[in-house]
Formats: sequence, structure tokens, C-alpha cells
Amino acid sequence: MAIRVFIADDHPMTRAGLVAALQREPDFEIVGEASDGNEAWRIIGEKVPDVALIDIRMPGEDGVGLARRIKESGLPVSTLMLTSYDAQQYVMASLRAGAKGYLLKTASPEELARAIKTVAKGGIYLDSEVSRVIGEQEIVPESLSNREREVLILTSKGLSSKETAARLFISERTVQTHLASVYDKLGARNKTEALLLALKYGVMTLEELLE
Amino acid sequence: MKRRLLTVLALAILLPSVSVLLAAGVGIFQHRQAIRAVARTYVQDLAESTASRVEMGWGLTESLFAAKPPSRFWGNRIFSQEVGIPGWIAVLDAQGRVVMSTPGAQILSELWRPQMPIGEAVETKNRAGEAFTVAAYPAGDTGLFVMAAVSWKELLGPMLRFGLLLLLLVGLVGMAGLVGVYLLWKTVISPLKSLEAEVSSLEWGKDLPRPRDEAAVREIGRLREEFFHLAQTAIDRSVLWKRYALDLVRVQEEERARLARDLHDGPLQDVTAMIQRARLFASSEAAGPERSVHLGLLEESAQAAVREIRALCDELSPPWLELGLAGALTELAERLSRHLGLRIFVEADSGIGDGLSKEKVLALFRVAQEAIHNSFRHGGATEVFVRLFREGETLVLELEDRGSGFNLPEDLTRLRLQGHRGLANMEERMALVGGELVVESRLGQGTRVTARVPTS
Repeated sequence: MAIRVFIADDHPMTRAGLVAALQREPDFEIVGEASDGNEAWRIIGEKVPDVALIDIRMPGEDGVGLARRIKESGLPVSTLMLTSYDAQQYVMASLRAGAKGYLLKTASPEELARAIKTVAKGGIYLDSEVSRVIGEQEIVPESLSNREREVLILTSKGLSSKETAARLFISERTVQTHLASVYDKLGARNKTEALLLALKYGVMTLEELLE
Repeated sequence: MKRRLLTVLALAILLPSVSVLLAAGVGIFQHRQAIRAVARTYVQDLAESTASRVEMGWGLTESLFAAKPPSRFWGNRIFSQEVGIPGWIAVLDAQGRVVMSTPGAQILSELWRPQMPIGEAVETKNRAGEAFTVAAYPAGDTGLFVMAAVSWKELLGPMLRFGLLLLLLVGLVGMAGLVGVYLLWKTVISPLKSLEAEVSSLEWGKDLPRPRDEAAVREIGRLREEFFHLAQTAIDRSVLWKRYALDLVRVQEEERARLARDLHDGPLQDVTAMIQRARLFASSEAAGPERSVHLGLLEESAQAAVREIRALCDELSPPWLELGLAGALTELAERLSRHLGLRIFVEADSGIGDGLSKEKVLALFRVAQEAIHNSFRHGGATEVFVRLFREGETLVLELEDRGSGFNLPEDLTRLRLQGHRGLANMEERMALVGGELVVESRLGQGTRVTARVPTS
């Protein structure tokens, strides 16, 4: 059965290119298109697609806001962000808003197809160019301790060391020690990389981030 | 009335002073006249009455007069020491020889003047300068003269002294008033008027008033100095402002030139290459495998163009600023740490910058960007700590490094004048959004930049 795909992008050329790429594959069925956030929300509610390809910057409601609305509505729609921004903070914001994947518009049609299939199955897909900076080499990460996982999850939700420390009843210094250990084990250089790598290696799930 | 208040004030003191002084002068003159009249009448009476007595009793008393001082006759009453009236009397013969006299009448010879009129009182002075009134009267046809004299001091002593003293005092008060008005005019009113005239005609930011007024009282002198200082500051400011405006224009032009260069060297070349490849691809000579090479290169050029344009966008105005302050700072820190090889630690409480205006987010972002670059470039730091926290209604962004630090000049505008715009720009950016910037640094001890903005 074909994966029902919806596309929201305010740029007609990009939208046409995406449609052309997706129509070549028999696995996909395009159920709707929209050029702004509000129209997109209406059609998603109407058609309930399997996967919604959403541009981050759109007139009306922006992509991150739309992803959050889809998550909060509880519709069985997997959101895949499609954008020209390569900033990792957009990935973070999208994931926190409930998106299942993040793809640059310059991605190849093959990568696009792979991403849609991955998120349709409930997986997470992060663009290879965005995550290129993280973990070029495939490593098998050391397993994290429970405390380290807790620290990583809270930090990934956007809490500061102080807030994390208060939540876990430990000192700020201990939080930083745990974080340093997490970075070390995952090969990350900062919080964002740690989160992305943790998701990539399956050390942490998207559900844990969204709890 | 109000406009001429100072003049009126001066007149209010001047007029009474002048009238008091005049009154005192007239009083002193009148007083003198009165004394003169009294002394004149007195001496005339004395001389005249003595003369008539001398005339009447001459036969009886002649011998006694001539021989020795009278003791038993009326003459005794006149010439004896017991006579309780002030003055001296002497009887002279036609040759001016003293026939008889009261005690102490030697003074008369001292007062005698050759052309002294007969039957009239005259004022004269002795050698000590004391004033006397003298009168000479003929004693009928006896051929004798009576000469009488009185000292003003003796006749009217206390009255003279106190009356005059009082008048002199009044006169002094008048003089003091005049001196007061003169000083008031010279040290207060006139300096005030000239200061006022200078202030009202001064072109602010261009002219300077006189720095000092030596004649003025201290307070007005200080006022003038203060005013001079203000005018000087205004001039400095306008100079700085002009320089600032020039700076702005220059920076803008430099920025445009660089942008144009970047666009030309980057995306423009890429797109040109794309067009060439598209043409080669479309040309009829191209064979199958060759066409796919053209297509591959076309895509490569397009990808390069996208990357370059994206980098330009990020540099000009990072789109990820819309993710909020904490997100933007985290992204900035991660990019710079990759780019510069620094370790940058960002600590921000969740939701800390929520609701902050775009201008403030941008200002804080630029401060962080500049400060991190400075830490790397000038401080040689390897670690930078970025903290974002709240202090009541204030949002605080703190950037600290353990770099080499520097000795901070007193005034950041001085750095700007030396062509180092970074710190001054940061300070101005914060000031523009109602915030403030504090830079703390010491040579060898790292640098801390603290930016504060009100959250509302």
C-alpha cells in the first residue's frame, strides 16, 4: 500500500520538483499540497496523510508550529521537516516539536524517498548533510548509565545545568561531569551533537525527548 | 518689570544710599553753620557787653585795671577766674597792647590778625588748627578795644562731637550703600547679564563661551565654568556624532562591497558554470556518458551555490535567530566552536529569552558574536563560558574567557576614535535597546563581558 504524502511549501518551483520526484516512485501517493501553514493545517486535518513534508519557513503558521500542532492533535501523521536551513538548532526545535525527521531541500530524490519511508515506519530520519558534522565515522557508543541518560534527556529538552541539577537533586558540577562523560561516550562536542548522536545510535528515543 | 529686576534692585539700594549721603552732607554743613552762628552771636555779645561795661566803669577801674588784676569791683566779676563762662576777654589800647585780660587770654595774641574788622565776629584757627570765633569791639570813645574769643570745642564740645559723629555715621552708611551697589553691579549683575547674553546667543555644539569671569562672584564664576564645560561636551559630542555617521556610512559601504564581491566570486560563478553545463548537456554532439558528466557537474555547481548563499544568509542575518535567544546562542556557539576550534559552553535556563523583542535578541546575539570573536582573536582564549540568566526584570548575558585579557581604557569611545569599533559598537547596540554593557578585563587575567537588558 502506497504511503500517503502531503506537501506544504510556499515556493511553487520547489513544490513542483518534490511532486515530480515523488511521482516517479510507485510507493508514494500525493494526497495534497499547500502553500502556507494555515491551509496546510486544514488539509492535514481533512486528509490525515501518513507523512507530511513541511517547510520550516512559510506564511501563516511556520513549520515548527505546525509540527507541534500535529503532535498535540494526536493525528497519526509523521512530520518530516523539509528546509533550506542547515542550522542544527532547527533540527532540535523540530524534534522537540514532534517532527520525526529533518531533510534539506538539496537532498537527492533517493534520500527523500528513504526519509519518507523511514518516518512512515515510525523511525527518525536526519539529513546526512546536517548530521555530517556529527560522527563521520560509525562508532559503537559505550552504553550510558541511567544518570547520564537522565541528564542527557533533560539537557536535550532545553534545561540548563542548574535546572537539570535541581530536577535530579544533584549538584550542578555533577551534571556537568555527567554531560562531559556523555559527550565522551558519544563522540559529541556539544549538547546538540550529543542529542543527535544519541538519537542516531538509538541511545535515546524521540519519545523520551517528548515526554 | 521682571526683565529689569536686577536694575531695579540696584536702584533700590542706590537711591536711598545717595539720599542718605546727601542728607548727611547737608546735615554736616547745617551743623557747622549753626555752630558758627552760635559762636558768632556769643562772642559778639560777650565783646559788646564787656565793651559797654568798660566804657561805663572806666574812670573807676582804670587804675585797678592798669595796676593789678581786679579783685573787688565788677571788673572782678568779669575778669576773675570764677567767671563760669567759656571764652577769653582782653582789653587792648589803640596800639594793641593788652590793658587787662581774663586768665589764659594770651591765646588772643595768637588769634589776632592785623586786618581784623571791628564790631564783627570772625572765624580763625590757632596753630593747632582748632576753630575759634573772635570779635573786637570799641569801648565807646575811651580809645580802648575789647577783644573776645571762644573756642568752638569749649563752647559746644559734646554737642559738636555727637552731632557730627551721628551725621558722619549716617554718611558712612550712605557710602557703604554706594560701595555695595557698585560691588553688586560689578560682581553679580554685570557678570550675570553677560553670561545670560552669551548663553542666549550661543550655537550649541559649535561655540564656546568665555571660560572664566574674574570679576564675578564665585557662584557665578562656577556657573560659567560649568556652562563652558557643557558647551565643550556638546562640541565633543557633535564631533563624535559626525565621526559616527561617517563610520556608519563607511561600514555600510564596506559591507556592500564585500557582499558584492562574495556574490560575484561565489554564486555568480556557480550559476554561470551551471548554464555552461546545461548548454553542453543540451548540445547535439554530446553522447550518453558525456551528458551524465555534464549533469553531474551541473548539480555540483548548484549545490555549491546553495551552500554559499546559505552561508551568506547566515552571516547577514541568521534565520535561526527566530528560534529564540537560547537557541540562537547555542547555534552560534556550536558554529563558532567548529569554525574557530574553541570550546564554548552555553548555559541558559529553559525559556529564558521567551517574549524578548527581536531587537533585543539581535543585540544580545551580536554582542555574543563579537565577544567570542574577540576572545579568540585578541585574547587567544581556548574556552569561552556563555551564561544567560535573569536578575529580576533584567536579562543578563555573560561571556567570560580565560584568555590574555587587556588593560581597558577608561572610555570606550577612545578605542572607537583609535579605530577599534568592536567594544564601542557592542556598547552602542546595548544602549539602543535600553541595556548596558560592562567589560571587565585585566592584562593576563581574562575578560568578562556582561550585557544587561530589561525584559519588558
